[in-house]
Formats: sequence, C-alpha cells, structure tokens
Amino acid sequence: MKTLNKALVIAWKDILSETRTKEIISSVLVFSILVIVIFNFAFSGSQQTMISLAPGILWVTFAFAGVLSLNRAFIQEKDDDCLEGLMMCPVGRETIYLGKMLGSLFFMLFVEAIVLPVFALLFNVNVISLPLIAITVLTTLGFVTIGTLFSALAVNTKAREMVLPILFFPIVAPIIISAVSASGMALGGESWGSISSWLGVIAAFDVIFLVVSYFVFSFVIEE
Amino acid sequence: MDNLGYLFAAFAVIWAGLFTYILVLTQKQRQLRRDIDWLKETLKKSE
Amino acid sequence: MKIKILLGVSTVLMLVALYMVFIFAPETESGVVQRIFYFHIPLAWIAFLAFFVVFVASIMYLWKRDIKWDAFASSSAEVGLVFTTLFLLTGSIWAKPEWGVWWTWDSRLTSSLILWLIYIAYFIIRSYISEEGQRARFSSVIGIIGFIDVPIVVITIFLWRTAHPRIEAMDPRVTATLMVSIATFTALYFLLFALRLAMKQDEDKLNRLKAFLRR
Repeated sequence: MKTLNKALVIAWKDILSETRTKEIISSVLVFSILVIVIFNFAFSGSQQTMISLAPGILWVTFAFAGVLSLNRAFIQEKDDDCLEGLMMCPVGRETIYLGKMLGSLFFMLFVEAIVLPVFALLFNVNVISLPLIAITVLTTLGFVTIGTLFSALAVNTKAREMVLPILFFPIVAPIIISAVSASGMALGGESWGSISSWLGVIAAFDVIFLVVSYFVFSFVIEE
Repeated sequence: MDNLGYLFAAFAVIWAGLFTYILVLTQKQRQLRRDIDWLKETLKKSE
Repeated sequence: MKIKILLGVSTVLMLVALYMVFIFAPETESGVVQRIFYFHIPLAWIAFLAFFVVFVASIMYLWKRDIKWDAFASSSAEVGLVFTTLFLLTGSIWAKPEWGVWWTWDSRLTSSLILWLIYIAYFIIRSYISEEGQRARFSSVIGIIGFIDVPIVVITIFLWRTAHPRIEAMDPRVTATLMVSIATFTALYFLLFALRLAMKQDEDKLNRLKAFLRR
C-alpha cells in the first residue's frame, strides 16, 4: 500500500505542474478535436456510413492523442533535469513507473472525457453508455501502461519523439483492434455478452503489460 | 493448372532473399577485415 | 568447425527437402501452388523460433549483464526478420492464385505483419542508440515486450477475422515432407545465426579495440 501512496504523490506532482502550465492537456485536447474534424472532411458520407466509421475514427484519434501526451511525460522531466531528482528520491524505480503511469492515465482520461461528448455531438452518435465508458477506460489503461515504459525509453535515444510511435503502434495494435470492434458493437446497441470477449482481451493486455512494464521499467531509466 | 509461375516466384523469392542476406553478411565481413587491417597498421606504427 | 557441420547438414537437408517437395509429395486438389506451403510453414515456424531466442537472450542480458547475450539477441532478431520477410512474401505469392488477391487482412497475415513491424522497430531503435550498454538494455526490453505481445496479437486477430486454411488430416507423405522441410530450415536458421553471431562478436571486439586505440 505504501508503494501506491508514493506513486500517487508522484502522479499528484505531475497533475499539479500540469494545472500550472496546462501544456499537455490543452494541446492534446485541441489536437484530438482537430483530428476528428479532419476525419470528418476525409470521410463525408451518409449517417449510416458515419456510424460504421465512428469507432475507427475515435480510436485512431485517441491513439494519436495518447502518443502526443505520453511523449511529453518524460521529455519535460528530461529537459528540466527532473528525472535525476526523481531517481534520487527514496522510492523504487517501480514506484516512479506507477506514478508516471497514473499521471498520464489521468491526463488521457481527462481529455477523453471532453472529446467523447464533442465526438458524439459532431458524429451524431450516442457515446454515453456504460459499455463504451468501460472500453475507453480499459483501453486507455493499456495505452498508458506500455506508453509510459516506451516514453521513458524514447527520451533517452537520439531521435526522441520519433521513437515512441514506431514502438507504440505495433505493440498496441491488438487493443486498438479490440477497442474498435467493441465500440462498434456498443454503438450498435449490442448487449454486454458479445462485447465482453473483447473487453476480456483488453483487460488481459492491461494486466500482462502492467506487470511486465512494472518489472522492466528500472532497466530503462537506470543511469 | 497454370499456377507454375507462382510456385516459381515463391521459390525465387526465397532464394533471392537468402542470397541477399548472405551478400549483406559478406559485405559486413569485408568491412570487418578492413577494420582489422587498419588496426594492425596503427599498431605497427605505434610500436 | 560448428559452422562447417551446420553448413553440411543444411546442404544435405536442403537437397532432400527439394526432392520431397517436388517429387515425393503428392499433388493435392489445390494444385501445384500448394507446394509453396512446404517452405512457407517452416519459414513461419523458424521466424517464431528466432524471436523466442531473442526473448530468452534478452532476459538473460538483463539478468547477467553480459554483452554476449545482446549479440545473441540481435543476431537472432536479424535472422528472424529475414525469415519473416520471406514468409510474408511467399504467403502473398500463395494468396494471389488461391484467393485472387496479393494481400487480405486475414488473421495470420495481419499478425505476421504486426510481428514484422515490431522487429523493424527493434532495429530502428538500436540504430538510434550509440552507447553499447544502453543499446543492449533498451533492445532487451523491446525484445521481451515484443515477444509477449505476439500471443495477444494472434488471439485478438483470430477473434477479429480469419480466412486462413486450417490444417486438416494430411496424407502421411505430406506430413513427412513438411517435417523434413522444417528440419531443413531449422538447420539453416542455426547456420545463419551462428555466422551472424560470430561476426557480431568480432564487430563488438573490434569496436572496443578501436575505441581503446583512439583514446
């Protein structure tokens, strides 16, 4: 329990500095809405086609937004030499991972909570349903578990921002596929029964990569 | 059954791929050889 | 010495495999293209074996911190990438006469493509890091995560869609040919892997010497 408390302190630090600068949330928010608008230009069609395209558009948007915000998570720390300070704290590397992960999770969920209603409005679909919220939360958790690990890795390489997407997208492909399929079903008003197998895949991904990243994270930031 | 061409293509691709890979390896080997020679010469000069 | 034995074994096996694939194995109802599958399946199996070696060597590196394990992992990843590329290409060539298209988003095609992209990323990231220990650590992490991702990708995509032929009861001659073919490519894998590994280790030694001399 102590580890979790310490991790929450680190996450709180990120949230606090974010409330002062509003760097990540504002830019990711604007970016997400822009992506949705551009998709609307790209696929203008009838209401029926839009509904079948909606889940794909939604998850491409969130995946891109995720990369954008996860990249910032460590670049800020690195540029201001905060990572050294963080590593000198009397907490394990695993705790740093959990803290950064929870911080990013909070930012992503915050952005999604605003983007989803906007999306619903623009695409004329009903997104405020329990299955869709469950899918969003679980998939976002998957994004940040693996994204935090790779973000810490990317920031230490020469190419920095370019590294995260090329690593992140192939690895999260299974949960993007699952999230798109499950959201398609949820928007089509299907019952929990058929959605749950997809949710199971996403949850399994979350658990596996949360555990694995937790243990390998210390190898990524040791210096 | 006029699909012999495809069979031929598949095998050609496998051989071509393997040979290209081996070619790349040989090239790397040559580079290594060059480096070794360079090292030997530098060593000789320094002696 | 080891390399010479491997070379001999793979040459002999290759000749036997060619004989079996083209003469010994019976024609099936899907015609002559079906013979692609005797090379296609072993390539896939070897690619998987290669990435498994990467996975194990990556764990060993993080545990033992011996640069030798990084040489193991990266050499195997390279051979695995070559085999995956060939496997994707032969699959595509098989799909054209069989399904009428070069590519379809079938389960195994898609999962192999994702696998291929993961290991491409592995090498791109290696090229971005110049410090040896850091490169080894980072690529070990990717080698581990990438391999763990494979079963999840496969399960997901099977849920998603599949059009791939399922292997049903086979003629014993077909099975025998396939087995020999797998043995052939396994020997070939170990041959290429041993060659690459020896070269990689020399490269590392040389680089260290060079760095030492320049100082």
